[in-house]
Amino acid sequence: MWMAHSRSPYGAKRLAIACFALLLVALFLLPAQIQGLLQYLDGPVGHVVRVPLEAIASIDTGIAHRWEQYMALQGVREENQQLRKEIEWLRGQHSQLRESAAATERLTALLHFKEQALPTMIAAQVIGRDATNRYRAIILNKGESDGIKPDMGVVTPAGVVGRVVKTTGASSVVLLVTDPNNAIAGLIQRTRDEGIVEGTQQGLAQLKYIPLLSTLRNGDRVVTSGLVGGFPRGLVIGTITSIDKQEGALFQSAELMPEVDVGRVEEVLVIQTSYGQSTTTGTGADLLGKPSP
Amino acid sequence: MKYLFYLILVLLLVPLQTTLLPHLSVWNIKPDLGLVAAALVGLFAGELEGLLVGLAIGWVLSLFSAGELWLSLLTNGGVGLLAGFLGRQVSQVTSISLGVGLLLVSLASGLFAAMNFKHLDVSQMWWMVESIVLPQACFDGAVGAGLYWLLSQRFHVTRLRTE
Repeated sequence: MWMAHSRSPYGAKRLAIACFALLLVALFLLPAQIQGLLQYLDGPVGHVVRVPLEAIASIDTGIAHRWEQYMALQGVREENQQLRKEIEWLRGQHSQLRESAAATERLTALLHFKEQALPTMIAAQVIGRDATNRYRAIILNKGESDGIKPDMGVVTPAGVVGRVVKTTGASSVVLLVTDPNNAIAGLIQRTRDEGIVEGTQQGLAQLKYIPLLSTLRNGDRVVTSGLVGGFPRGLVIGTITSIDKQEGALFQSAELMPEVDVGRVEEVLVIQTSYGQSTTTGTGADLLGKPSP
Repeated sequence: MKYLFYLILVLLLVPLQTTLLPHLSVWNIKPDLGLVAAALVGLFAGELEGLLVGLAIGWVLSLFSAGELWLSLLTNGGVGLLAGFLGRQVSQVTSISLGVGLLLVSLASGLFAAMNFKHLDVSQMWWMVESIVLPQACFDGAVGAGLYWLLSQRFHVTRLRTE
């Protein structure tokens, strides 16, 4: 049996133990101060790390796009025919919606609804996923220097993606709607019952604390309620797939299929200011639901 | 030169862990390269360097994770320190013994992290251990053992450890 020789001086060993002990004491006794101290360094380090991160992310995206383009050529003819049918149907829908929009505009003017501003958004690219397996999060290529702050909502045109939880100078971490640590105020679009949307461990989402008298059913859409957090009202979160109503329970809950496939999202919009805080003015309705007085 | 290597290692670990590894994940589980790197640095360079590099890796990776900073510092720094001690005390470290050691350390840190999750009941905790902590520990052990084996094929690792 051969023993490894220690060339390291005895002092180094003692120093290492002392450093670790000091760190443990500091982390447990002064957690806020330690985090505050490290936050000063987060910005510059974030900028330095951004260089290799964006370089590798752009190579990765390039390869993924090439592969997707190749794969997209498979079955193009069938897809084309299907899309043509869809366009026909959408044209019909479009003309109906134009009529509805005109009617809504007239009624809005009649009822003197308050004009609201559209939310200000920042476009960002997804450059990575959470460094650990324990959280469902994505990393964006924009951070504090672009005006992104923790608790801002993150969406795509399809619906809600998640919430910013951490920022550095040049990047930010977004906790996805499917993470169990995330909570977003939600609203069933048809019944207008409110609840809290949380992620599940299986990678879906659930709407909790729904009133027992709610007449929700499978297929109902859940949107943001806009009451708390960085989301305006009416952004789609998901569709109810199953309902859990237990005897004796104070509330019922429902499982949701998120509207956005968060595993494949590549570009997102960060909501910088919600309704009413923006400088630009727009139409007065929420994004999907009823107009608010 | 050594410090430049450490700097490049820390900088490259972030894109590797956050951008490339998700493509190589098995059942949505990817190995924790930070933990493996801290262990290998501790093993070859001693406890002090293992601790410092582990802390640097833990801090930088925590900037790109929704997780807690203190947990990342504690696990990566602790692994570097522990590997440094073991590297000087244990004779003939083989890729298998290193893999088993990493598996145990990863398991311990994963369990510690799971216990720190809020609002987890027993069934959810068990689900997390079964589907995240345990597979990741196996993955970390396998990757660590593989890297050590590769290094031992390329370099004289016993000399590296004692020099």
